[in-house]
Amino acid sequence: MSDAPLSDAPRDIALQTVNLFRNFGGLTATNDVSLTLRRGERHALIGPNGAGKTTLINLLTGVLRPSSGRILLEGEDITEARADERVRRGLARTFQINQLFAAMTPLEGVGMAVSQTKGKGWEFWRSVGHSRPVIDEIVEVLDRFGLCDVMGEKISSLPYGKQRLLEIAMAIACRPRVLLLDEPAAGVPEGEREDILDVVAKLPEDVTVLLIEHDMDLVFRFASRISVLVSGALLTAGTVDEISTDPRVRAVYLGEADHG
Amino acid sequence: MLTNLFDGFAYGMLLFVLACGLAVTLGLMNLVNLAHGAFAMAGGYVCMILVNRHGVPFFAGLPIAFIVCAALGVVAERLLYTHIYRRSHLDQVLFCIGLIFMVDAVVDYFQGPQQQFINIPDFLKDRFEFLGVSVGAYRLLIIGVCGLIAVSLQLVLTRTRFGSRLRAAVDDRRVARGMGINVDLVFMLTFAVGSGLAGLGGALGAEILGLDPTFPLKYMIYFLIVVTVGGTASITGPFLASLLLGVADVAGKYYIPDFGAFVIYTVMILVLIWRPQGLFGRVATR
Repeated sequence: MSDAPLSDAPRDIALQTVNLFRNFGGLTATNDVSLTLRRGERHALIGPNGAGKTTLINLLTGVLRPSSGRILLEGEDITEARADERVRRGLARTFQINQLFAAMTPLEGVGMAVSQTKGKGWEFWRSVGHSRPVIDEIVEVLDRFGLCDVMGEKISSLPYGKQRLLEIAMAIACRPRVLLLDEPAAGVPEGEREDILDVVAKLPEDVTVLLIEHDMDLVFRFASRISVLVSGALLTAGTVDEISTDPRVRAVYLGEADHG
Repeated sequence: MLTNLFDGFAYGMLLFVLACGLAVTLGLMNLVNLAHGAFAMAGGYVCMILVNRHGVPFFAGLPIAFIVCAALGVVAERLLYTHIYRRSHLDQVLFCIGLIFMVDAVVDYFQGPQQQFINIPDFLKDRFEFLGVSVGAYRLLIIGVCGLIAVSLQLVLTRTRFGSRLRAAVDDRRVARGMGINVDLVFMLTFAVGSGLAGLGGALGAEILGLDPTFPLKYMIYFLIVVTVGGTASITGPFLASLLLGVADVAGKYYIPDFGAFVIYTVMILVLIWRPQGLFGRVATR
């Protein structure tokens, strides 16, 4: 594994897109996006509905291929890597899925993710539970997310808030160095929101996080830097103070928040 | 009476091995692979050609039939099926029917339309009495082999990482990819094993089911009944459905010969009226 940076990118850049474009027919859903996430950064991506946030996530995670441009993970070009390869290389995401592996238990879900990344994924005929380090790590992840007491229940029977927690737990169990958090608190009832916010705030510091979120409250609490996406293009990027006082951002996004 | 039950049991076990690949591809990959029987027929012919014409021992012919059909399955999946995964079920059905006719014609051309018989070892042709039941050695072999396969499949699906990955890929392939699972590889291996088992079933079953170019069409209906009645949520469903079907078919043809061929359809209709999602089906989530 050569770790040589392709460009003169500084070593502390975790994830970078270079002039990323994606067209759907005549529509440019991603328009010349050059986004930079520094290592360990808490970065939020905001933008009004239809700004192209979902397309950008899909490009980053390998669900879609860009029409042009490059994606670099810690200096290595991953533009052509498959979705599952990117996860193994350290770029994981959460999914907004309600019926997440409905018939499995949190134990199985986290166990699968852990065994996948513990370097023993090839031992496919072995059961997950045969190795002590794997079990220890599963328990540790479940414990950190407060899921130990429900680990044996069917995922479909868990309260919605717990399901969202489990989504984050499963992503963390993949041991990512860069984590894409896709609206972690969306649709979670008021009473369970704090749990989610706590977990998000306590994510390991060495993990770089890109938060895609509508909820400005959460964004301002969590993020150190914010990028604003409008009509597929980056309008601006900056610190929380810069963004919250930027009149252009107010015009396109904050002004429309009432509609959200 | 008990002899019929035994024969029906053996027949059902055989149906399970033949149909379980279909249950997996249909239930797990949402692919209506009606041409599944073509792999079974291929297995039968591979075994027949090797054993009858090249003197390969029968017990070597069976695993070779499995391997050849698994390989054929991989080739077919990469070259053909990959294009129809995302198409409508009607497209898949039409495609598979066309494929069946083509395979049928090819086999007919090279091997002729007549029934083929695999030369099985003499000791397998014996029948012996056991507790008043007349037991055929060959059927005992079928029960042994198929039972072993059923147990192994269940263990692989529920106890191994491959099983949990397969279930995850089926539940939501996007999320599974998001967890670093190589979904395409998992599906390809699954398809290979399903095709291989069909081939093994075809080789093992030639003695009982017969072997000629119309095999895929003739037995398609049986495979479909197994899958409809058993549901595709697990392999326990198709397994029990196969046994039910095997016993009902043998008993029906023996006790009420005039009506015999309709017994299995009656069973299927009754089960589906009672439980439209199949005996063990989960309520449709798609």
